Amino acid sequence: MKEDIKKIRNIGISAHIDSGKTTLTERVLYYTKRIFAVHEVRGKDGVGAKMDSMELEKERGITISSAATYCEWNNHRINIIDTPGHVDFTIEVERSLRVLDSSVLVLCAVGGVQSQTITVDRQMNRYNVPRLAFINKCDRSGANPYRVLEQMRERLNHNAVLMQIPIGLEGDLKGIVDLVSMQAVYFEGAFGEDLRIDNIPESLVEEAKARREELLDAASMFSDELMESILEEKPTEKQIHEAVRKGVLQRELIPVFLGSAYKNIGVQNLLDGVTNYLPSPTEVENIALDLENEENEVKMSSNPDDILVALAFKLEVTSYGQLTYLRIYQGSIKKGDDLVNTRDRKKIKVGRLARMHADEMEDITEARAGDIVALFGVDCFSGDTFTDGSKRYSMTSIFVPEPVISLSIFPKDNKSRINMSKSIHRFTKEDPTFRTHVDPESGETIISGMGELHLDIYVERMKREFKAEVETGMPQVAYREAISNKVEFDYIHKKQTGGAGQYGRVAGFMEPSDDESYEFVNEIKGGVIPTEYIPAIDKGFQSCLKKGRLIGFPVVGMKITINDGNFHSVDSSEMAFTQAAIGAFNSAYSHAKPIILEPIMKVSVECPSEYQGNVMSSINQRRGMIISSTEDGVFTTVDSEVPLAEMFGYATTLRSLSQGKAEFTMEFSRYSRLPESLAEELKKKLAEKSKGGK
Amino acid sequence: MNDFIKVSPLKLLEMSSSKGLGKGKLGALMARAGVGKTACLIHMAFDKLFRKEKLVHVSLEDSPEKVASYYNVIFSDLVKALEIKNETETRMFLDRNRMILAYKNKSFKTERLKDNLNNLINQIEFKADSLIVDGLDFENTDRFVLEEFRNIALEFDVEIWFSALSHRHISDVNEQGIPYPCGRVADLLSVIIQLNPTQSGIFLKLLKDHDNPVKSDTSIRLDPNTFLATV
Repeated sequence: MKEDIKKIRNIGISAHIDSGKTTLTERVLYYTKRIFAVHEVRGKDGVGAKMDSMELEKERGITISSAATYCEWNNHRINIIDTPGHVDFTIEVERSLRVLDSSVLVLCAVGGVQSQTITVDRQMNRYNVPRLAFINKCDRSGANPYRVLEQMRERLNHNAVLMQIPIGLEGDLKGIVDLVSMQAVYFEGAFGEDLRIDNIPESLVEEAKARREELLDAASMFSDELMESILEEKPTEKQIHEAVRKGVLQRELIPVFLGSAYKNIGVQNLLDGVTNYLPSPTEVENIALDLENEENEVKMSSNPDDILVALAFKLEVTSYGQLTYLRIYQGSIKKGDDLVNTRDRKKIKVGRLARMHADEMEDITEARAGDIVALFGVDCFSGDTFTDGSKRYSMTSIFVPEPVISLSIFPKDNKSRINMSKSIHRFTKEDPTFRTHVDPESGETIISGMGELHLDIYVERMKREFKAEVETGMPQVAYREAISNKVEFDYIHKKQTGGAGQYGRVAGFMEPSDDESYEFVNEIKGGVIPTEYIPAIDKGFQSCLKKGRLIGFPVVGMKITINDGNFHSVDSSEMAFTQAAIGAFNSAYSHAKPIILEPIMKVSVECPSEYQGNVMSSINQRRGMIISSTEDGVFTTVDSEVPLAEMFGYATTLRSLSQGKAEFTMEFSRYSRLPESLAEELKKKLAEKSKGGK
Repeated sequence: MNDFIKVSPLKLLEMSSSKGLGKGKLGALMARAGVGKTACLIHMAFDKLFRKEKLVHVSLEDSPEKVASYYNVIFSDLVKALEIKNETETRMFLDRNRMILAYKNKSFKTERLKDNLNNLINQIEFKADSLIVDGLDFENTDRFVLEEFRNIALEFDVEIWFSALSHRHISDVNEQGIPYPCGRVADLLSVIIQLNPTQSGIFLKLLKDHDNPVKSDTSIRLDPNTFLATV
């Protein structure tokens, strides 16, 4: 059994948006005989590359949603997750990196290391993903793989070493020289499927020797045996492969392959690299948390005979119904098995089990540790862990950032309303960074996400996939209100309008609390208010917190203490005391000097060091406070705190001030008082909006 | 804030000839590993901040998160020890006047520090009064680098305090009695102080006072828990 696992490779293909990774994946599937024809991403034939299963992706020529697929090469099974490259979709990349054991970093031979490459590379560092690199598009005008290699060393700080050199470049790209076997490889046949091995062209012999020296130098650092053989001038291919593999597994060496997926050059050698150098599931440490044992860490065994632990890392709706992609860390799953969701302890039955091949599938009866498979019709969320029920293990939760932007969204007609609701239900299950709620006041549906483009894409998907015609409002910041003074209140609610009357008197004080929470303190003595009415008073106060009287946003950070009151034996009721609390709140609130709080975001900008000044200035102009600046090689990270209201459009600003080389991430930090002048402006603006609404 | 200044470790310098280090000058805090060099250095930083000066903390080893967390922990201790009332406002004030510049993976170059300081002045109007440099390897740093620092101190009109690691097993001293490794570059350092743990407590001792002679007993005793001077 263990032998089988050692021949599994779970890999991601990560890169900048235009580096051609989808075409590369398409060719990989072709050479591994999973598909029998190749198409372009922006397919002139209207079919499109296999991994781009969503219509929108086909049109834009980009991959938004990861689709899992598998193939076989050299008697190894390779599970591939194609990952998106855009910054607004990083949750997809993060999820992929969480479940994969290794990755192929694709770079463009013309564009080289770009800001998005750096982001993706850093994400791989965060998840300790061993990787190799493929310099694609060597057939393009301006291609220079040697420059890209230098950029990998300088800008990504990688110990990158060429495994090949190109035979010709740009329009003259003919093949590659393999620096391990020291042979030329040409790719013949209609789609480069026939490999012709030949001697190295005379003109490249010296270059190949020099580059091989570099390779041997780098590889020998990981193998004494290879080092000795080099000294004796007889290193074997096996020794080189083993040493490179060791370097990759230690994440201290990045073997670099090159070619052109579009021109069918170099892909088979890359696949050899995947099977030779990248780790099997048994060579990667995965940890689960034991929820029954104070979340103690449990190392996953990769043993198919152990109890099952599998992570649902991706949900998708396809023409076959809802699919749940699972990574099995240990144990195995058979058709008909019962699985238990660790989160809600619900039991599910495995009805249909499949290996996915982009948007096609293959039914299987069993899957084992290390595998990535899909289940049908399972109700769960991304990030849920499944076991056989004997243990409550949960895989370390995937880091999910808080959404930072909201938009109101309106369906144009009733049919669209129904479809919009369906689409929102789907998206929230697929993507934990996409959230939604209904504003109780306006009745508007509000969607929240990671950035403007993130929400734009979902709105477009609503239109295209769910036929929901929708309009959106302006992006909205989530303000809060709070009081800044302690104020006493003493309020009598009294009504006598025939029938049973209403009477309740509540006295006490409201004051700011230390944090953003609400606190209710009952200091009533001597039964001046009967105990049964106290919860009603609390309820009355809490109802007022939902919508502050200053600008209509929720009130936070308030402590209310009641210490006196009166009741009437006939006319007092829970309702009367709730109303008394509301009256007390309303009478006291404006005297407590309410202020507006705005969300402050932690903003981290990464840029080449020469742009540090520009970045600092841009943050300063946005009322930001710079906390620190960290230099690492030729890159600088500027960390700051900036009000969210100032961050709209920052991606565009940052692009233009850094020639597209800087990028930023942001997450919620805290609420802070909005300066008085801006508070007045905001009050006016909201008042106008409210008038306009009416 | 004045409460802190009364018990600040830099109270030691009140015993010195010029009552401090002074702009354009370099100073060093020496101690063995594990004695509390960084903590003492951060107390010195608080002294500057509480005097309403602007401070840049240059870290050559630790990440900015770690440095900020050092400051937060020490500030929380100060809040308790000195019963600081308006904690949130004080913290905000200190954060606004402190900047952390970190250099990871041996990225530090004095040229980059100059660029960074210029950016702070020109882009966000943050003109530092003092620099705290933590993590400079005094044993293996060329004299040239310290000369560069002295130029920075003059050019930017700042005083610069370094932490310097000394060793129990190396007892070398220079002709003025300044121990290794600061002894080798003592001419570039205007003030040198040493953090000295003894059986009777932790003492901060003045080893060099500009060009003036130092009395052998010029020292203050620090509370081992708070690093505040015991009055």
